[in-house]
Amino acid sequence: MKVKVISRSTDEFTRERGQDLQRVFHNFDPNLRTQEKAVEYQRALNAAKLDKIFARPFIGAMDGHIDAVSCMAKNPNYLKGIFSGSMDGDIRLWDIANRRTVCRFPVHQGAVKGLTASTDGRILVSCGTDCTVRLWNVPVATIMESGNMSDCSSEPQAVYMGENAYWAVDHQWSGDLFATAGAQVDIWNHNRSQPVSSFKWGTDSVISVRFNPGEPNLLATSASDRSIMLYDLRVSSPARKLIMRTKTNCISWNPMEPMNFTAANEDCNCYSYDARKLDEAKCVHKDHVSAVMDIDFSPTGREFVTGSYDRTVRIFQYNGGHSREIYHTKRMQRVFCVKFSCDASYVISGSDDTNLRLWKAKASEQLGVLLPREQRRHEYNEALKKRYKHLPEVKRIVRHRHLPKPIYKAGVP
Amino acid sequence: MQSHKMIEKKRKSRDGKKHDRPQKFARKSKFSKKRGKIEDDKRRTGPRLPQSLRIELDRINPNDQSGSEEDEEGINDDVYEYEEGVPEEESKKNRRFDSVENYEYELPKDFKDENVDSDDDDDDFDGGENKIAHHKGKKGHLDQLDDDVEDEDDERHLRMLQGITGMPSQAFQDRKKTKVVSEGYPESEYNPTRDVLDGDGRIAIEDLLESIQGKPGYRELRKITRQVEKKGKVLQAPLPKEDRDRLERSAAYEQSKKDITRWEPLVKRNREAPTIMFDKDTDSGFSTIGAIASEFEPRTEFEKKMSSLVNDDNVMAAHKEDGSRLLELNKISLEDYISSRNHIAKMRSLLFRHEVKMKRVKKIKSKTYHRLLKKDRLKGSVGIPMDAEEAKELAMKQEFKRAEERMTLRHKNQSKWAQRIVKRGIDTQDEGTRAAMAEQLHQHALLTRKMNSMKDSSSSDDSSDEEDSENSDGSDEDKAPKLLAKAREKTRRVLEEDDGVPDSGVLSLPFMKRALKKRKEAADEEGRLAIQEFESSLKELEDTDEAKITKTGTVIEPKNKIRSSSYSSDSEAELEAQEDIDIGLGRTDDMQNNINVNSVSLYVDADIPQDSVLKNSELVKDLGPKMTYEVSILQSNTWKKMSSSRNEVDTNGKRSQKVVEPATHNQDIEFEGVGEDSDADSEGQMLDGILSSEHKSSYKLPSQAELIREAFAGDDVQEEFNKDKEEIMNLENPEPEKPAQLPGWGQWTRVQKKKGLPSWVLEEHENAKRKREEALRKRKDAHLKHVIISEKLDKKAEKLLTGTLPYPFTSKEVFEQSIRMPIGPEFNPATAVRALNRPEVVKKQGLIIKPIRYEDVDSHERGGEERRKSGQKQKIKRSKGRVKAVVAKS
Repeated sequence: MKVKVISRSTDEFTRERGQDLQRVFHNFDPNLRTQEKAVEYQRALNAAKLDKIFARPFIGAMDGHIDAVSCMAKNPNYLKGIFSGSMDGDIRLWDIANRRTVCRFPVHQGAVKGLTASTDGRILVSCGTDCTVRLWNVPVATIMESGNMSDCSSEPQAVYMGENAYWAVDHQWSGDLFATAGAQVDIWNHNRSQPVSSFKWGTDSVISVRFNPGEPNLLATSASDRSIMLYDLRVSSPARKLIMRTKTNCISWNPMEPMNFTAANEDCNCYSYDARKLDEAKCVHKDHVSAVMDIDFSPTGREFVTGSYDRTVRIFQYNGGHSREIYHTKRMQRVFCVKFSCDASYVISGSDDTNLRLWKAKASEQLGVLLPREQRRHEYNEALKKRYKHLPEVKRIVRHRHLPKPIYKAGVP
Repeated sequence: MQSHKMIEKKRKSRDGKKHDRPQKFARKSKFSKKRGKIEDDKRRTGPRLPQSLRIELDRINPNDQSGSEEDEEGINDDVYEYEEGVPEEESKKNRRFDSVENYEYELPKDFKDENVDSDDDDDDFDGGENKIAHHKGKKGHLDQLDDDVEDEDDERHLRMLQGITGMPSQAFQDRKKTKVVSEGYPESEYNPTRDVLDGDGRIAIEDLLESIQGKPGYRELRKITRQVEKKGKVLQAPLPKEDRDRLERSAAYEQSKKDITRWEPLVKRNREAPTIMFDKDTDSGFSTIGAIASEFEPRTEFEKKMSSLVNDDNVMAAHKEDGSRLLELNKISLEDYISSRNHIAKMRSLLFRHEVKMKRVKKIKSKTYHRLLKKDRLKGSVGIPMDAEEAKELAMKQEFKRAEERMTLRHKNQSKWAQRIVKRGIDTQDEGTRAAMAEQLHQHALLTRKMNSMKDSSSSDDSSDEEDSENSDGSDEDKAPKLLAKAREKTRRVLEEDDGVPDSGVLSLPFMKRALKKRKEAADEEGRLAIQEFESSLKELEDTDEAKITKTGTVIEPKNKIRSSSYSSDSEAELEAQEDIDIGLGRTDDMQNNINVNSVSLYVDADIPQDSVLKNSELVKDLGPKMTYEVSILQSNTWKKMSSSRNEVDTNGKRSQKVVEPATHNQDIEFEGVGEDSDADSEGQMLDGILSSEHKSSYKLPSQAELIREAFAGDDVQEEFNKDKEEIMNLENPEPEKPAQLPGWGQWTRVQKKKGLPSWVLEEHENAKRKREEALRKRKDAHLKHVIISEKLDKKAEKLLTGTLPYPFTSKEVFEQSIRMPIGPEFNPATAVRALNRPEVVKKQGLIIKPIRYEDVDSHERGGEERRKSGQKQKIKRSKGRVKAVVAKS
């Protein structure tokens, strides 16, 4: 009589090293697992619920300003550094990791309205209502590390006087030009005290200006006559004007799709345009219940963050009609400026309550170093959620958010 | 002012000439006789026309001027002024006012009439001179215009010359005339200037160009001028500023649009990619270790100290110059030196003591001492296996050694030493070496012994079985009786064995017990039959032995005979089967060996006709379909043998009958396909072999339809389906209850019975019936004969369904396809899981993502890249390389 036993050859199953994983054989025959869909659905549901449980987007607030934060700029070359300017003329450099001020540049007489840093992160440009444009040397990273808070370079590298108040400033990507907006649009070089060129089209003042990061010679501005204008530096003339129903507060170019930009409008919506076809918006992003004050694209180009006068920060997909995330706290007042961090993992907001707030871009993301298995787990959960997001239960859980009452009421007609 | 006047005059004269030209020849014919003399005169005398004649001509000419020509002149005037000014004033200015050359000028000897002499001819050999002449001619006639003034001057001049030289004035007069006259003849309507004859009298670009004909660059210039002529436009007045700005803006916009559009393929690729990676381009900033080192700045105390020492100027200088100075710098304090020396001395003394001790120990000659020492050492390291755990440990160690031996085969002549010896030949070695080799082999045997023993115990059954089968295969004829006897023995043993019914588990349940008992009885019965059969066959074998014929021989020979005599139709299959007979025999032996196994697990098959005699056939059949086929052939052969020699068969008639039955049965199924025949019939057939064979010969292949009908003769599928459908329909729309007598009031009286059911009950019933009908009619499968569509809602399944088609999907199929395959690690191999779960955006925390950079994307590569992305990693790398190359190119 022959007895069949499970036989395993030692060659197959002997591990070479103690750390090696035991060999496991798996039969992937679908007939053996008929409940796979139900199982995965359940997992997706659990993942959605876990996401809700772990959703803790708020990392911390950075206080120090004594007036509302009016503008911010990120250091394109240094992840931890962010500049903020306030209405009282104070400019601060923050270390986000430690959430403290590293450096102060307190010279502006009036409100600081615009801040920007050069691509190499060495020079900071600020402008304000005191009709000056100031260039600062940014302290190098090592000084930031060493951490003795000081007015490290209290003297600006250069001060350029203008005739009118400046509303906004933006630096060209990988060039040494920057543009200021005010009564007109001026293009400056680092080394010249006079603008290299200036554009004027219409009589109203320009309130925001943004360079196209992919196409560095292209810039867009919005003016208080409800217009959005495109300029091309090579032909040194304005290119196109688009008049909207209401004023556009800010514009942001998609860093991964140089033809597209999104405009944050007073009418609570954001409008995504293709710069080549300005006849109609490609996408209207609705959800805010008050004017959208600032907008910034994620470096991945797949989503953007908006700050609104309704005291919330929202994150939209680049092609999504509604926001995927809303951030708010009881203490956060009108949001005047928002920025996505350079690694697309954090969001920083500056608001009327003189604070900068640091948020996670993905509310339930696990911070810190992940083990490979953890990583895989997260990926699997994400994939499951993405796959089953259309099914009613998962959809409900993923979409659900607690909103402040006024916003909820304003949102529900 | 003067020049202006002159120009004015010139224009006038030119106009005059113009008008002259068309009329010239006509007039010539008219006045040729009249003025021929005058003309001749002119030719002889020189350029001048008398002033009076000129005035007269002028008077005549205005009459000739026609109105049609006038407007043409108006246009020409402007253009003339504009164009003529340049060559007149700029190029020939100097010559015009510098008349020195003119004085020297001699009329060429071969001077000809202008009419004959053409510009082109001159151009061939010298353009430049001709041009000068041309110009001079022009100047000449300019000069003539103010003759009056000149005449006086000339006279004075003549007088002066006479006074100086004392020569007659005649000599000078001639000379002077030649000087002034650059044209051969004075200009007039009869004697027009050259340019009048050549063209319209203006100096065009062509005229200038002609001079450089044949020089490099001429062609291009001419081409350009032609193009300019063709497209020559009149300059428009500039547009108003707003319009200009607008145009400029639109142009700028178009330009920037075009620039942006070049990004499109790149953006498209990124959007369509299942995953975009942002974790790849880690720009560390430094490319070499040197670069990193040069950027290094000491921060901590230690680093600073180190760097101060390393970067000490003295040290650096010493390094550069000479090593000797390093020694001077390398100062050690006295304390340090002393302490280190002490330390070294201490270590040395310790070593020395240890050495001395070991020497002493080595000197001791007592073997027991050494043995004890060794044991001690072992004890120190291993310890005496006192308790179970230690013993186990030791065993483990031993096991490990053994395993190692098995893995490495160190003692099986694998070492270099052993191999060398083997190579040289063991016999040539001395005794010691051989002993060592033997010892090694022995050790190997010792170490691997356990393994073998284990193997033996596990596979003893196998090997014995194999042996048996081998034996049977080898010589079946001889072993047949033995095997039969053995089989019989085994069967008997199995029958006698009382297999214990399990006390627990499913088998211990009462009904299972009963079933087991029943089965066992059946098996016993079969076993007994088998034994009987074995005995009979044994007997037969003995008989055949007596007849000195081996079993197989008896089987085969008569069979062949029969085939030659009575088989009219021989199918290939049968032939093959006959060839297989030997093997078949072997197999039957095998089967007989295995009977003890089969008899335990035999079951009663209801489909097979239940003749008592058929038991054995079943037994045979159970061994497998192929076996049955072969065996049946064999047995039919035996049966045929029987029919040929009845006397012999009589002895074991019972057995032959038994054997025949399954054979016929099988033949029915496999060859004839006449399943409907009753058992009795088939038996009847079998009783007469020839009859059956004749039956076979008249066999016809049935059609496919027939076969199917026969195959599914028993079951009526349609009927069943209908029944099923009706059931489901009833379940989903249940039939209303039939109205019955209501219990309670009036039940016991006759009133209700008499009245019948109350009307409302009936009505209700009718309503319910109608409703049901309605519902049945409304069902989706009402008109579908072969379909059941359940209308019951499954709540559990509902949550896996969406209400509407989700947005990006265009059809239900696509959506369902998208969530069909599971993606989890349990359902997919590890290699695929990663790719299945990869998120849309892969980024690394803390890595700065730069904006997009332009790179060329061509469509072919794009497709390839996507394919590669889903595919292997290596390919991805390669494609990356290619993309990089493209970037570098662009």
